[in-house]
Amino acid sequence: MEFLENLFLNIGNWFMGWLATFLPTWAVDLIMDILIIVILLVIGIVAVLILSFMERKVAARIGDRYGPNRWGPYGVFQAVTDALKMLTKEDIIPKVADAQIFNIAPAIAAFAAVMTYAVIPFGKGLVAADLNIGILYFAAVGSLSTLALLSSGFGSNNKYALISGFRAAAQLISYEIPMGLSIIAVVMMSGSMSTQRIVLQQQQDGWYILIMPAVFLIYFMAASAEMLRGPFDLVEADSEIVAGHFIEYSGMKFALFFLAEYIHLLAGAGMIVTLFLGGWSGPFLPSWLWFLIKVFCVIFVFMWIRNTFPRIRIDQVLAFSWKVLLPASLAALVITGIVDKAFDSAVVTGIVMLVANVVLILGTSWAMGRRERQKQLAAEGAALR
Amino acid sequence: MYGRGLLKGLWVTLKHFWGTIFTDVRKFPRRYHREGTHPTQSDPSLYGVFSLQYPEEKVEMFPRFRGPLVMLRNPETGETRCTACGMCVRACPHGCITVEGEGKGKERKPVSYTYDLGHCVFCRQCVESCPFNAIEMSHFYEMALYQKDTVWGLDHLLELGDESGITDSGQAWE
Repeated sequence: MEFLENLFLNIGNWFMGWLATFLPTWAVDLIMDILIIVILLVIGIVAVLILSFMERKVAARIGDRYGPNRWGPYGVFQAVTDALKMLTKEDIIPKVADAQIFNIAPAIAAFAAVMTYAVIPFGKGLVAADLNIGILYFAAVGSLSTLALLSSGFGSNNKYALISGFRAAAQLISYEIPMGLSIIAVVMMSGSMSTQRIVLQQQQDGWYILIMPAVFLIYFMAASAEMLRGPFDLVEADSEIVAGHFIEYSGMKFALFFLAEYIHLLAGAGMIVTLFLGGWSGPFLPSWLWFLIKVFCVIFVFMWIRNTFPRIRIDQVLAFSWKVLLPASLAALVITGIVDKAFDSAVVTGIVMLVANVVLILGTSWAMGRRERQKQLAAEGAALR
Repeated sequence: MYGRGLLKGLWVTLKHFWGTIFTDVRKFPRRYHREGTHPTQSDPSLYGVFSLQYPEEKVEMFPRFRGPLVMLRNPETGETRCTACGMCVRACPHGCITVEGEGKGKERKPVSYTYDLGHCVFCRQCVESCPFNAIEMSHFYEMALYQKDTVWGLDHLLELGDESGITDSGQAWE
């Protein structure tokens, strides 16, 4: 177990030692940094192959179908054939498109998605850059994708793509705020912005999903809106704006957007695991395996939600962010701040926090229900009049 | 509690997700190679995969499905029941049947009987008009061919009749 736990670290150290026998220190550092970047890119691409297959299979199973099952045992090579198809497609740039913006948009999308991998702790010590502002970096780089979506929508010179780009801008900016506030609640609890520290702190405090479920729910909803998934996939709403900003893209440029979407999904799920589900910590199995198991469970929940709920309208999306998630996350912030400072013992803090969070969830639910009933009564009154 | 409907919806889809996997596990080690034809599953309260994997699993056609024409044998002599009376030729709105017969009275038999699949509209007028129950519409549906002007002769139609398993015409219409 000890061997498996330190497998990747040992390989890295051995390789570094071997390089140091004939290279100066700066060259060894440079090669190791480049190697880590390449490994992160490979993780991203492999994740896309696995996740696109998983997405189709989960969607199929929920819809009582088989899903892809022809190429390879149980269809596992379907994603590979899709990738090959994408590579051989013709690359089309529309005549009226703004070619520079049009061409750079998919690159920005993929770049912004891969950048987030730098701070995700894949295991004990397996983090590319253990920044002391890791979470802030994640939030900042994650929101770069807005730029990609907006510029692809604008550069395509297509009205559907433009609508999609505007929707992306409105939606992503709205959901940044509750997401950031719920991250602040976690940071207050753990006392650090470093992703590794948050995981270590959760080993003492217990998983944050258990002590602050309301914050988890807010973050989960904001993250799924941020990743343009679930009922919040207005940006690529096939039935209204024909896949939105993808519409003019073909071949590898389309594939890059696709890549960015799934890399973003893995990164978002990894961040949820890091912040709320105890990161890589777990008994018996090596830490990186625990991280993968948890990440895939979270991704399954994302796919499950996506295939269950119908898409909501843009005004509903924005109203939900500003009228429900923002007040709730502000309340959660206040609760976290008071409870964290009010009690000395970790156990008492945890219990009080849990009670306060459950009260917050029920209160929000009650308030939303009350508003809905009032609207119904008003509509009935208007009908009577 | 507001939002209960969301949880209910999630529960429904989760049940369908597990349902398909459990019904698949029961088929193990085979995935979908079940023999014979299968009725399409149409009851939404059932769990399990609805789709049939076409080349391995085939859909059972409903009894009154009108596939291509086949000829039936006389159960006593094992030969065709056709007497080359020409009623089917007259009934056919597209003229895709031709018959040539020889002999008189009860001895009369078809020398050649051709059926042009490309022109057939599967109206079953020929079967309705046949006074000897000699022909019937089969349940075959894999009729993709390489030639546009495919014409089937007497022997082939009789073979198809044996293959289709139909013993008497109009069984499904009783």
